[in-house]
Amino acid sequence: MSDPILATPFPRRAGAALKDAYLQEALTIATTKFIDLRKEAFAGLPEGDALRDRARGIKEATLQRLDHYLEQLADNVQRLGGHVHWAATGEEAREVILRLCRDRGVKMAVKSKSMATEEIELNAALERAGVTPIETDLGEYIIQLAHERPSHIIAPAIHKTKGQVADLFSRELKGRFAADPEVLTAVARRELRQKFLQADMGITGANFAVADTGTIVLVTNEGNGRMVTSLPRIHVAVMGMEKVIPSMTDLMVFLAILARSATGQKLSSYTTLVRGPRRPGELEGPEELHLILMDGGRVQQIAGPLREALYCLRCGACLNVCPVYRQIGGHAYGYTYPGPIGILLTAMLEGDRAVKDLAHASSLCGACKDVCPVRIDIPRMLVDLREHLDRGRIAPRSERLVFRLARRLMESPTLFRACVRAGRWLQRPFVRAGRLRRLPFFFGKWTATRELPAVAARTFSERWKDLA
Amino acid sequence: MITCLGDLFFPEVGEAMVAVLRRLGVAVDFPPGQTCCGMPLFNSGYHDDAARVAARTVRLFEGAEHVVVPSGSCAWMVKTEYASLLKGDPALRAAAEALAARTWELSQFLVTVLGVSRVESDFAGRVTYHDSCHLLRGLGESRAPRALLGAVSGVDLVELPEADQCCGFGGSFSVRLPEVSSAILDKKLAAVEGTGADCLVACDGGCLMQMRGGLERRGSRVRALHLAQILAGSTAERTRVE
Amino acid sequence: MTTRVQFLERVRREMGKTRGLFPATTAPRPARPREAAEAVRRQLAERWPQAVERFRAEFERVAGVFHRVGRLDEVPAVLARIAAEKGAREVVGWDPAALGWDLRAALAPHDLVVLLAPPRDGEADRRRHREEAARAPLGVTGADWALAETGTLILFSGPGRPRSTSLLPDTHVAVFGPAALLETLEQVGVMLEAHHADPARVDGGGAITFITGPSRTADIELTLTRGVHGPKEVHAIFVDAGAA
Repeated sequence: MSDPILATPFPRRAGAALKDAYLQEALTIATTKFIDLRKEAFAGLPEGDALRDRARGIKEATLQRLDHYLEQLADNVQRLGGHVHWAATGEEAREVILRLCRDRGVKMAVKSKSMATEEIELNAALERAGVTPIETDLGEYIIQLAHERPSHIIAPAIHKTKGQVADLFSRELKGRFAADPEVLTAVARRELRQKFLQADMGITGANFAVADTGTIVLVTNEGNGRMVTSLPRIHVAVMGMEKVIPSMTDLMVFLAILARSATGQKLSSYTTLVRGPRRPGELEGPEELHLILMDGGRVQQIAGPLREALYCLRCGACLNVCPVYRQIGGHAYGYTYPGPIGILLTAMLEGDRAVKDLAHASSLCGACKDVCPVRIDIPRMLVDLREHLDRGRIAPRSERLVFRLARRLMESPTLFRACVRAGRWLQRPFVRAGRLRRLPFFFGKWTATRELPAVAARTFSERWKDLA
Repeated sequence: MITCLGDLFFPEVGEAMVAVLRRLGVAVDFPPGQTCCGMPLFNSGYHDDAARVAARTVRLFEGAEHVVVPSGSCAWMVKTEYASLLKGDPALRAAAEALAARTWELSQFLVTVLGVSRVESDFAGRVTYHDSCHLLRGLGESRAPRALLGAVSGVDLVELPEADQCCGFGGSFSVRLPEVSSAILDKKLAAVEGTGADCLVACDGGCLMQMRGGLERRGSRVRALHLAQILAGSTAERTRVE
Repeated sequence: MTTRVQFLERVRREMGKTRGLFPATTAPRPARPREAAEAVRRQLAERWPQAVERFRAEFERVAGVFHRVGRLDEVPAVLARIAAEKGAREVVGWDPAALGWDLRAALAPHDLVVLLAPPRDGEADRRRHREEAARAPLGVTGADWALAETGTLILFSGPGRPRSTSLLPDTHVAVFGPAALLETLEQVGVMLEAHHADPARVDGGGAITFITGPSRTADIELTLTRGVHGPKEVHAIFVDAGAA
């Protein structure tokens, strides 16, 4: 995916984010709030850990019979009167939708929040084809008006102040609105209500699809998911194929922990179970339902090193606790999915090269794994990714040489001691009271902001004979 | 196991650890020729290289009854990663598993192996404790260090807000993304200074290097010390200044 | 364009390369769903007084407004009061077959215009009802299930029970009795298994909706606001003697 943001190297994008004072404050407040909400929600759920284990088990068990469940899902959706499309790539998924729009005379499509449609850059394609896509999730609506991408999986406009939103609305909607969330919400409600009622097509993602019954499940809070799947005459759901789950019983396990992980709610305001298009006698509901099952790089990970990342529920909990995400926000990552899981998903969907820098955007602290509702071992996969970059010679040659040299030092105590002596000698011009304040070249990266201890006049190994 | 950072930059921590262990009646030996546990190689994805270093380390500590490490991340490396790094060689792998079972981070050794709940020392002051990521999440330890600190009569232990948030070191992360690392550190140090503590304690050389480096650069009166130094008492309190 | 066969072939090929990460199972399903559902019903028939208390607590926790009456004939007065508070003159509601009682007849003594969902699905009906539902400030439905653990109303769509009734008006009121109560999400799972396993059951509608409180968002500076696209307020009227 070509993107002007990616023209700037990641360290610079991160640096720019660090200098954005409002973003820093917004990130601290929002992520801290999410962390507290999640903690509280799980504190009130004694069976939480057991449920997380079960959820992880269900995801793994599903992958072990994935073909069966995908077939069952497709058969059931079709039995209910829906259509199923199989998209190997994002482009194919877009094609299905564009063809539908052409054939059915769709002029306007209302969208419920869907990371899958962000991933395939659907809106741009629709616009190019003369179809107007309208994002209806408030956060997505805001960033659509601002021509930006989401900066968080759950709260896409977290980086915007209410003042910025008010200005945006005033400019784009030709009015004057106070910087008050209540007022701005009411504006969005009014504007979008008309769109829901007039749109030809509703486009959603899917949090889950239940194979046993052919049910598409949407977990939302605003009501736009319900609008989009009830009012327009066509409903299209775009779904990563890994979102299929076997049964309604399995669904309850995920519902028990998903909203708690994402926002601290026991359940989101609306959980919608869509079972095909509207029935005879039903006044509302789409005439046509289309489910697009998407690969886009996912299938390759069934036997790949990122298999576990296929368990992801897109709850955003890992973003909220990640020390890196909390400092730089979502845009700096540069791809659809930010944060810890975002790095893995980017590798999955865009390839190893795309994460040459991002794979190192982690201190491997493990906080993400701690909060993941399906216990994805993100740190381990990040280290594996780094190994791939090394083996695949994608990591820079200079870096690989340095680490080879380091290994030599670690294998040879003689060399090690020689280096210690050399280090002591080389550091002499820079040492002040046992500390190194400003070092040149590579070491300047540390000393720009931190003191570095000098190599000890006598290392512990050298002192041992006095201690023995 | 002294660790590379401990050997080169914090020998006083090693000395404090030896003093504490001896005071508790433990016979301490120091196999010569120690270099590094190989974690920096492992974390950056150089696994073949890390395996070679792991093999060497396993052989080096073959005879030891217990291996005590003043660093949660190094102990974690040995206990969790060595066996799978050496899975290609069954004998080495078995040796690695045996070593893993005998290797302990210092606070875990004191509390779990020695069953010590109190190490008295003459240290006095208000202290706050930072949970190093690998000790907390990798080895599941958050109580032992706090218990030991709280048991020193002169210590006024105050809880650090968001103690479990990373300090920003992350090994090579600290120099690959130095600005991000420093921003994360700033947040941590703001929390530390907010506690009014005289002293910040951690059980990891990397965290100490990062946090002390930041505290000293900003001229803070807060000292960053290793748990061993608190337990060893006033003779060990000095951070090395030569 | 990729075909089903091609897609699944690719999936199978990848699956063949691995046994997976660890032995894992899906959630155990009730062997006989209908019996399991009946067992749940029997349990709730006894436990409903506790269940309704729990429901009330959780419903209020998510900003729901809870009312309780002894008999169905007390409901119209509550509805009229809510309508008066909201300054509502028009009420949209499910048709009598879906609701189990006649909303229009019940509200006849009160000065309210009642717009019922027609049980037909002609284009003219559809358009008119859409306008009505969009216009009316108050929507009245039943609740097929009411989950105590989370304060959730569960509504099945179908003829005479459109989705918009609980979605478009500013205020949504759900009227139900003890028969709707369930205590845990796990029980909802059992009921859903039974619902879908019943071959004799005609597939009523295209959607089942779980409603937990009013529509909400915190997308602007994480400040919570209600009534984004759906109702700003949700009421529950619990009828001890049953609502049908």
